[in-house]
Amino acid sequence: MQITCKDRERIFLDGSAHEWRGLEFHAASCAECAEEVRAWKALSAAAEELRDYQESPALWPRIATALAQQAEQSVMGKSWLERLAFWRRAPMVWQAALAGALALLMAVTAGYLYLQSGPGKGDPNSPLLKDRTLAQVERSERDYVKAIDKLAAEAKPQLDLPASPLMASYNEKLIMLDSAIDELRMQAGQNPSNAHLRYQLLAMYQGKKVTLQDVLETKR
Amino acid sequence: MGSAGATLPWELRISAVAREGTSRVELSDRGAQSNPETGIPEDAALATACRAGDLHAFERLYRLQGARMKNLARNLLGTTSDAEDAVQETFLKVQRSIASFRGQSSFVTWMFRILVNTCHDLRRRRMRRKEVVPEEREEGARPAEPRAPGGHPSLKLALNRAIAQLTRHQRDVFLLYEVEGFRHAEIAEMLEISESASKNTLFQAKRNLRQVLEAPRSSQAGGA
Repeated sequence: MQITCKDRERIFLDGSAHEWRGLEFHAASCAECAEEVRAWKALSAAAEELRDYQESPALWPRIATALAQQAEQSVMGKSWLERLAFWRRAPMVWQAALAGALALLMAVTAGYLYLQSGPGKGDPNSPLLKDRTLAQVERSERDYVKAIDKLAAEAKPQLDLPASPLMASYNEKLIMLDSAIDELRMQAGQNPSNAHLRYQLLAMYQGKKVTLQDVLETKR
Repeated sequence: MGSAGATLPWELRISAVAREGTSRVELSDRGAQSNPETGIPEDAALATACRAGDLHAFERLYRLQGARMKNLARNLLGTTSDAEDAVQETFLKVQRSIASFRGQSSFVTWMFRILVNTCHDLRRRRMRRKEVVPEEREEGARPAEPRAPGGHPSLKLALNRAIAQLTRHQRDVFLLYEVEGFRHAEIAEMLEISESASKNTLFQAKRNLRQVLEAPRSSQAGGA
């Protein structure tokens, strides 16, 4: 490799061993480069003056005492968060699995608490309660109406052809009750959660049931 | 700093200790030569043992690196007392933060990074408290430091003063490379710079040092 004065700075900066040999070969015949190379190397040699590796006999005992004290304090004062620090060294898969498990546990716990002691249980004005109770009332009402309709079917022959003024009176009463029931059912359909309407409707059904029982009693 | 404080030109004074062919730049494999005790297996084993809290591992680390750590700290801070404080503080920091060491760099490199930062912190703290006296007075008032056998006192003084004129990064790189024998790759990890930045910084540091150290001779020549 042909080294010239122009290569000198570059070799000082980042020259390979081969390039340095080339520079020294060139410096043998170039006074300027010879001086520069000598001065450059002299700096490295001078740096050795700053190398003083004499022992300090008291230093290690001092450091060892400080390390022991710090280790003791660390064990005594370790917070629970620091105790969990070992997870930071765990593989990412395990860290992710732990995070997922904790999130799932929190979600399940929150759901359980919500269902057990949340607004669904204690607050009577809760929409959840209204919907569920209303459905229950309507289901009972349908069963009750079915049962009364069975009674009405049994009493129908006597009522269609009343054999006595009493039977005619029962018939009129039942027509009036059916009319009132239809009207209340229409109102309840528009305002299903109105408990007052439901009680009135129940009273009408009870009246119809008693009247039909009376009709059937008269027949016997 | 007006002069290097020496009566002889620096090149004449160091010529006696300059060894031809020992330039660090010339040796591509010098890392293996300069740090035979810090091979990777030992390094990794030490890191593991220190993480386990083994005090003997810290002692082994001190036996391997303590002298070099103290030397670097003394060159950065100026006194043996401060250097010993910095080395102790570094060991305590290593113990506190060993859990965060994940082995991206060598354990020794990681520890020296802590040491360099600790030295700069100590230096800053001293500056804030105005405990640092001007360089000239500090040098003059400093008690005689134990020297390496064969060391030249006036050369060491001149070099110390010249190094004090470098930028922080230039000083760090020069001391780590030329004095402590680290490779550019290791220095790059310690100082969190690129390897080429480390080479560039060393180049600039040596150029600046040369200028500072040559100044007396130039002024002498001018005065004659």
